Amino acid sequence: MIRQWFKSGSPWIWMTGGAVSISLISVIGLLALIAWRGLGFFWASPVHEFHIQGSVEQHTVIGEIYDHEVVPASRVRQAGVDLGDFQGEELTRYLIKTGNREYVELDFRWILETDIQSQSTPHNLAVFERSKNGNFYGYIEQVIENGQPVQGDLEEKLEELVERAVDLNEQALDLQNGDIGHINYELERLRLKERGYELDNELTHERAAELEAQRKALREQYKELEKTLFQLRDDAKRDQVVVKDMRGELVTLPLYQVLDFWLPNDMGFFAKVGHYFGQLGKFISDDPREANTEGGVFPAIFGTVFMVMLMAVIVTPFGVVAAIYLHEYAAKNAVTKMIRIAVINLAGVPSIVYGVFGLGFFVYMLGGSIDQLFYPEASPSPVFGTPGVIWSALTLAILTLPVVIVSTEEGLSRIPSQVRQGSLALGATKAETLWRIVVPMASPAIMTGLILAVARAAGEVAPLMLVGVVKMAPTLPLDGNFPYVHLDRKFMHLGFHIYDVGFQSPNVEAARPLVYATAFLLVTVIIALNITAIGIRNHLREKFRALDN
Amino acid sequence: MITVATEVNAANTHKLDLTNLTPEQTALQIKNLDLYYGEKQALANVSMDIPKGQVTAFIGPSGCGKSTLLRCINRMNDLVDTCRIEGQILLHGENIYDKRVDVAALRRNVGMVFQRPNPFPKSIYENVVYGLRLQGIKDKRKLDEVVEKSLRGAALWDEVKDRLHDSAFGLSGGQQQRLVIARSIAIEPEVLLLDEPTSALDPISTLVIEELISDLKDKYTVVIVTHNMQQAARVSDQTAFMYMGELIEYADTNTLFTTPSKKKTEDYITGRYG
Repeated sequence: MIRQWFKSGSPWIWMTGGAVSISLISVIGLLALIAWRGLGFFWASPVHEFHIQGSVEQHTVIGEIYDHEVVPASRVRQAGVDLGDFQGEELTRYLIKTGNREYVELDFRWILETDIQSQSTPHNLAVFERSKNGNFYGYIEQVIENGQPVQGDLEEKLEELVERAVDLNEQALDLQNGDIGHINYELERLRLKERGYELDNELTHERAAELEAQRKALREQYKELEKTLFQLRDDAKRDQVVVKDMRGELVTLPLYQVLDFWLPNDMGFFAKVGHYFGQLGKFISDDPREANTEGGVFPAIFGTVFMVMLMAVIVTPFGVVAAIYLHEYAAKNAVTKMIRIAVINLAGVPSIVYGVFGLGFFVYMLGGSIDQLFYPEASPSPVFGTPGVIWSALTLAILTLPVVIVSTEEGLSRIPSQVRQGSLALGATKAETLWRIVVPMASPAIMTGLILAVARAAGEVAPLMLVGVVKMAPTLPLDGNFPYVHLDRKFMHLGFHIYDVGFQSPNVEAARPLVYATAFLLVTVIIALNITAIGIRNHLREKFRALDN
Repeated sequence: MITVATEVNAANTHKLDLTNLTPEQTALQIKNLDLYYGEKQALANVSMDIPKGQVTAFIGPSGCGKSTLLRCINRMNDLVDTCRIEGQILLHGENIYDKRVDVAALRRNVGMVFQRPNPFPKSIYENVVYGLRLQGIKDKRKLDEVVEKSLRGAALWDEVKDRLHDSAFGLSGGQQQRLVIARSIAIEPEVLLLDEPTSALDPISTLVIEELISDLKDKYTVVIVTHNMQQAARVSDQTAFMYMGELIEYADTNTLFTTPSKKKTEDYITGRYG
């Protein structure tokens, strides 16, 4: 019986099927976990008001329930907490996010179930999202517009005023990053130009005067813009809101620091869904604030995608050309075999080693030489002789080169020899056959290599820390200032952002959901890049569906 | 053991004297050709003259060297690293194995169609103009003209004229093979080599191709390798029988199949081996 069963192959099928299931379950489980923990953060969870009986006096705590855990009563007692006449074995304690960071010692606190005397969710409790110091929780008492208290529906009016302040702030920011940034950039270019003339001993009086004139004009513009900027900022500072916090004190919040406010206990399901997607959108499109623990991750998304694409643009031609040489032109002898083995083994080198190589070779040697040759006027501050996005892309290109070479070679060897001969028989040379027939037919395999390369590169963090990633980059590698693409700039990366928020953050509890959300986003970005590449590959496969008959 | 058929039926006066062709009648001359794959000799001292504007068939059992000989004519054997060739093949009186010969130019002059249809992963149109594009011809009108002429020449025009820009992979095997022939004649070679062109095709496609071959000889010298003796008898003007790398007998098709002069030839065509 059993022998029959073994012979039939069933155990083998069960084993292989089981292995596949386990892999699938772990992948889905991982995605589900980071999605749940990360994406749940943007949901407007209810704000509770707790009346707490402390050891000395009664007080109120207002905040969101952030987490809870069950602890044995004995342990709490050992810690010296008087549980009174509590009888149970275990009790629950809650982690409350109370916000109001500048008025209380800690914006997260644990409270014991037994200390809670009463708990409610008043519908008029408001949450304020602020550009500084995190969230603020409290009751709206008064809205002050232009120095005068507002009468009537406070919330409606507040909404209008917050929108106005946010709008003004945005205008100010646009002005600062756009026009004023441009002027600063131009001034810096003038300085470098002057320095360049000086180094070449070509700084004549006319030239100096001309530069000075340009500089003067720019400064004039700058002053004008600065005036507008200050005006916008002052305008944004006009209104305030007075909020009663959990200590029972009235706090005046200037509206220019308020980004948004909502009354979670008063929101219906659909309002919450709308709010959720709004928050999610802000997470994806905003810049980070408060040492990366708040705000969005847009620069990191942009940096990751930009760097990976740059890497793809570099690695594809190199890998393909190398593979063509190895497969088509190199003599089939021991040396070629050794080179091939060396290439495959390169894939096994730890990525941090590539980082060290990139720093030593690309940044210091190559970048340093470029600076000496082309940017002597910028000295002593380096242009390319410092970590930057181009060096990161190059380092990762070397890291992923073996993958592209191996799969391209694989693809080349699968092209039927009859097709090559058909081309040769029409009077094509070997090179013409390669470029017109063989390489296009191998392009799906090249894309496979690229997919693997992108998957590997997008998730790599360690080498990037040496060759270009920073915690906070003030500017993107693409902007409106000539030459528009700044490959020498440092950039932010989702992978490094996870590390930074998770391990280098001053506020661990506040950062935790962002770690999950960023991780989920990183996976999403990688999947999106891969799906794009897979789509292109399938299209190519369809096109070159070679002699299958 | 090298014998070229010398006995030409004296009654058939219109037949060519294969041992004594005038230069105008000759397309190709193969002289004392030896070919080795590494240590193994695949062709031994083959000599023959292939007449112009006629169909010449190579027959023989598998592994006899008939395809190898055919591939020598456009130097396809150059692709095999271990291949070594001695002797000469003359085209216009010049040895194609001379060092100064441009192989690509030679292959433009000596086209080849392979056993299995091998269209490129391009449209029908692009397949036909491939050879012209290689020569740098870009004039759209000229290309259109050649496409129509070549496809008509390969008896394919009526079937594909409405879908010239569709993928060539959408054609049937027989159509693909005719497309490959059209692609070869688009660059107007003098000689067309057919390496078992119908062995991967169904009987009806085979018939179409055979009819096509008879038409082709008006403009091109055709050399065809086939292991189908009926096919050789149907399409060719002269036939060469090869065995174990040697040319056993070479004569006009009629003579070879009716009154072979060699015992080995007779054994083969009567089906005693092969």
